[in-house]
Amino acid sequence: MKKLLDNWLVQFLLFLCVLGLTAFITDAIGDVLPPYLLMIGLFIGINLIMALGLNLITGVTGQLSLGHAAFMSIGAYASAIATVNYHVPFLGGVLIGGLVACLFGIVIGFPTLRLTGDYLAIATLGFAEIVRVQFTNMKITNGAIGFLGIQGSTTFPIVMTIAVITLVLMVWLENSRNGRAMLAIREDEIASSAVGINTTLYKIQAFAIGAFCAGVGGALFAHTTTFIQPTDFGFMKSVDILSIVVLGGLGSIPGTIIGAIVLTAAPEILRPLANYRMMVYGVLLVIIMIFRPYGLLGGVNLRQAVRRAFMLTKKKQAGREE
Amino acid sequence: MFIKKSKALVVLSLIMSALILVSGCGASKPAETAPSGGESKEPIKIGFLGAKTGDVAIYGLNTLKGLNMAIEELNKEGVLGRKVQLVEEDNAGQKDQAINITNKLISQDKVVAIVGDPTTGITRVAGQIANSKNTVIMSAGSTGTNVVEIGPYVFRDTLLDTIAAPATMKYVIQDKGWKNVALITSKNNDYSVSLSKIFSDAIKSNGGNIVIEEFIQDKDTDFSGQITKIKSANPDVIVFSGYYTEGALIMKKAREVGIKAVMVGGDGLQGDDLMKIGGAAVEGSISYAGFSPEQPTPNTEKFINAFKAKYNNELPDLFAAQGYDALMIIAKAIKDSGSADPVKFKDTLAKTKNYDGVSGSITFQESREPIKSPVYLLEVKDGKFALLKKVPVEVK
Repeated sequence: MKKLLDNWLVQFLLFLCVLGLTAFITDAIGDVLPPYLLMIGLFIGINLIMALGLNLITGVTGQLSLGHAAFMSIGAYASAIATVNYHVPFLGGVLIGGLVACLFGIVIGFPTLRLTGDYLAIATLGFAEIVRVQFTNMKITNGAIGFLGIQGSTTFPIVMTIAVITLVLMVWLENSRNGRAMLAIREDEIASSAVGINTTLYKIQAFAIGAFCAGVGGALFAHTTTFIQPTDFGFMKSVDILSIVVLGGLGSIPGTIIGAIVLTAAPEILRPLANYRMMVYGVLLVIIMIFRPYGLLGGVNLRQAVRRAFMLTKKKQAGREE
Repeated sequence: MFIKKSKALVVLSLIMSALILVSGCGASKPAETAPSGGESKEPIKIGFLGAKTGDVAIYGLNTLKGLNMAIEELNKEGVLGRKVQLVEEDNAGQKDQAINITNKLISQDKVVAIVGDPTTGITRVAGQIANSKNTVIMSAGSTGTNVVEIGPYVFRDTLLDTIAAPATMKYVIQDKGWKNVALITSKNNDYSVSLSKIFSDAIKSNGGNIVIEEFIQDKDTDFSGQITKIKSANPDVIVFSGYYTEGALIMKKAREVGIKAVMVGGDGLQGDDLMKIGGAAVEGSISYAGFSPEQPTPNTEKFINAFKAKYNNELPDLFAAQGYDALMIIAKAIKDSGSADPVKFKDTLAKTKNYDGVSGSITFQESREPIKSPVYLLEVKDGKFALLKKVPVEVK
């Protein structure tokens, strides 16, 4: 028991160290990098946070959601209203954005998560449309004209620190009892319910956490662009986030990281191609999907791969010592 | 077991930070600080921000045509003995890309001014960045609120709805005598919602009254409910603040049920699809614009001819004319102030009065909001937009 506690403490301290290190490194990077690159890095971070959330829903639990932009918009508007109308501090606003989105994730989860596969996808799509139309017609969101006057408080270190927190929590979650239950649901829902997994509960959990991440991402987005409109969170935004998850490899966290980096940076890196930019971008997607149908890192157990490499070097060293 | 897990965590985060670094560095050559003093013979760089792809690409592409003409003309003589160079980037009409581009134009390309974006939403976002980095941004197209309020580096050279809509209503109510107005707003269209507010104020201040107010949504196709109600209110004129597609469909339905009143609207009605969809039903519809190639002033005529020669006999549109004007005004401010430093020439720019542009005369008020004169009232005649009247605007 004591040993376990020690280890938890070690884990926690390590976690704090990583966080501190991230904040320190990103802060240092922020001073050196030109604003253009910094902004790309910032959007990579925001997309990563949202994609990790969707990865939990779609990649780990296997529930296809086409409504992630809706949770993002809820988070964006909730945080914007909190910081602008009620003068909540920025990080508090981000938290509120996440929590409100999470709440909606749960509320939506109850009726829709009885559906599976394509049916669920259509239901989430419908939900996303409802949210968008609602924001277009609400007074407090200033309707179609858009919400103005949000402070540009989002910075690179903040985004990266939140991204690392999300990342660590996701890795931890995936290896927990809940994570394994979610994985079981993805592999075979009937079998997992037969062995006593409350499938609806875990699906709603995944949805709530995923929605929270999207809400946080949306809040950060709103405080980056300083001005949001319902049209910013259309169907294409959901597809963008889904592409990150699918391209990186469904259910793979390192894959999601690579997906976020590649898909966010690609349109900017391809800028010299001018008018052919989006065409090349599309071709890239097609090629990746042909050669890596399960995503860039789909089906690759990175931890095992790293461990194997580690063992190999150890063995070599041992061999040399002999 | 747990230690191992932590190791994996550390490895993972290290990989991530490494990747971020790599992706950051790989993306560009390190931005060398180019000599940007007034004495150098480096070209003066002007950025273009707008969509060349996506839903609103047509605005961006036409603005670019005007800009390229202005560049050609400026480079005949040069500005302060230097060439002018355009750096164009495509934002696909998306805010995150617009933010990236604005940063790139300012920090990497070292532009002194940015022309764009044609839409209000993106100008607000880009304006924040440009203003904080002391770079002039001139939108050739945005008409919404909260644009020039951002700060002293943000400008626009567009005909504002707050000037054009009242002028139009004055003509409709006082000259035409159409006092009873049916006002239709497209609820999910930001342009329509804000324009309706201006229309409704202008109707009241010109002595008209709104007999009925109805709401539609963009992409709706059936307006029977609204039109039936409007018919029973018996208005003299239908004022619609949205876009041409819905405008055409509304008028078709109106003619079907026997409403004789014509439609009046903003520049959102200006699209050839208005006539393609509406046919005879939109005949007589009135809308305003910031530019018309008809009855040109000598200056505008020269521009139109040069434009036609360069672009295959194509007539310039509003965005081309405004884009051209935007760059020419900036160039004039640079010449007049004798400096290509935005910190200096922005003040000269703000003092521009009665500039004779190809899209009309342009004066910046103290708030930097432009007053443009004249307002071009256009009427649909035989399936084409024809100039109805040029309404001059007084500069107070």
